[in-house]
Amino acid sequence: MRVDIGGLIIKNPVMTASGTFGYGKEYAPYLDIQRLGAIITKGTSLEPRAGNKPPRIMETPCGMLNAIGLENPGIRAFIKEKLPFFTEFDVPVIVNIFGETIDEFKKLSELLSEAKGVKGLEVNISCPNVKMGGIIFGSDPDMAHAVTKEVRRLTDLPIIIKLTPNVTNICSIAESVEKGGADAVSLINTLTGMSVDIEQRTPHLANVTGGLSGPAIKPIALRMVWQVAKTVKIPVIGVGGIANARDALEFLIVGARAVQVGTANFINPRVTIDIIDGIEEYLKRHNMADVNDLIGALHEEGKTC
Amino acid sequence: MNGTVVKNKEIYTGHFLLSVKLPDSFKTPMPGQFVMLREAGRIDPLLGRPFGVYHFERSGNGAGVVILYKVVGKGTVLLSRLKEGDFVELFGPYGRAFDIYPEAGKVAFICGGIGVAPITYLALHYRRQTVARDVKLVCYYGASKAGNLVGMEKLEEICGKVFISTDDGSAGYQGMITEKFAEDVSSYESGTSRIYACGPRPMLKQLRELLAENPVSCQILMEERMACGVGACLGCTVPLNDVEGIEGYARACIDGPVFNIRDIRWI
Repeated sequence: MRVDIGGLIIKNPVMTASGTFGYGKEYAPYLDIQRLGAIITKGTSLEPRAGNKPPRIMETPCGMLNAIGLENPGIRAFIKEKLPFFTEFDVPVIVNIFGETIDEFKKLSELLSEAKGVKGLEVNISCPNVKMGGIIFGSDPDMAHAVTKEVRRLTDLPIIIKLTPNVTNICSIAESVEKGGADAVSLINTLTGMSVDIEQRTPHLANVTGGLSGPAIKPIALRMVWQVAKTVKIPVIGVGGIANARDALEFLIVGARAVQVGTANFINPRVTIDIIDGIEEYLKRHNMADVNDLIGALHEEGKTC
Repeated sequence: MNGTVVKNKEIYTGHFLLSVKLPDSFKTPMPGQFVMLREAGRIDPLLGRPFGVYHFERSGNGAGVVILYKVVGKGTVLLSRLKEGDFVELFGPYGRAFDIYPEAGKVAFICGGIGVAPITYLALHYRRQTVARDVKLVCYYGASKAGNLVGMEKLEEICGKVFISTDDGSAGYQGMITEKFAEDVSSYESGTSRIYACGPRPMLKQLRELLAENPVSCQILMEERMACGVGACLGCTVPLNDVEGIEGYARACIDGPVFNIRDIRWI
């Protein structure tokens, strides 16, 4: 079940997605954290952020909208208060970082390179719910390249760039971050959406728009992962609507080297463990000794994006 | 964990009593704690719904959670169609419980609408704790109309006296229940009395105003939309009063759902 994510070897291809697993502690009573391939932490910024005004979430058909606005205690408090908990487990911790400017990304990279226990960085250039930074970096190939290059210059940690689906051509963004020195890409972040209360005639979210996640977005995520995996040479991590082992297997088959499970954690705190077990059972049933033999094993007529 | 529906019965128009049988390993919920409930195997609706516990009991080979709910949206409509023997996924008990003061002399329970469910469970807890003592438990219960005053018999059995109000005047005082409570608020003294409340936001906000001059302890249960129920998603946040000028939010699921009424920023 071992896979290699740009030099980071993880014991199985199942990770928790940023912002859906808190800082590990929240879910520790409900599952054996030790079994996870990797943990991606909640997005962390240089300074503390209060987040958006409530209401911040709304359920939609087979999915949910969120506009949390990256509430987090800031990187210094994260390193001091949140990071030590993770080091109790033999599971690599990948810290999701968010900056409003390239300078902030640089400072975050420096601080985390020196922090004990950090095994990788996931660079969030795709948050749809903040006014500055986020998606602005992720929707322009040149900006995406610039952020990646600066982070690369400052750290030897494996760098994963998290991409937004809210673009015309995700392949060109993926290519530019590959050129910038990324070790891997993860996709997709949420799709921008909205929902309206017809009785009050108000948006359901105080932020008006939010990011759509959950099973509703899985086909879109799968299509984009397939496209990007055919375009870049670096590993692709599939994320978007994965709720069971079958979903995860679809992503691996279209070319994802690993998967991240997000919204499904909210529904079943031990879903990641069920997914790991399910992948193992599938491999056994198909007499496959190595999960890597499954990655990109899709039978198709060489169509590209 | 998986549970089995034992009973799902409409006891008042649009109000159901759902009993779920769970394995014995299910922890006993404390008053104010909630469970996340969803129909097993569904992805639409996707998320569990938080419900305050109305009643709980252990029998020889398992645990039984009873939830009193009102049908309001898609999730509760589907819930109302569950039949005996159907499976549900139920996680919990989650959240911070009410603080109980067995030495209290006088306790007021104020509830509006379906807020009666967790308040009844709390009142029962108080009654059991103080059974040997002469403690005054008083309940104030408001609803939109007489037909929505669900579970009155049980409340009367626990508290003795229940003051009621309805928006349309079809039973009891006409208006918000906090207006009725305003007549008595001065009889609740800091130190010996306790006030607990659960209900719509305007009711809780008015209660806060009533207590502006009275420092008596008051805990409230806040109802918010939730996704995870365990503190990870940061979706159910409640604004708190500024601490040193910094805007702050608390998570209703894990920092609450029980809060001190004076800690909430009533915007």
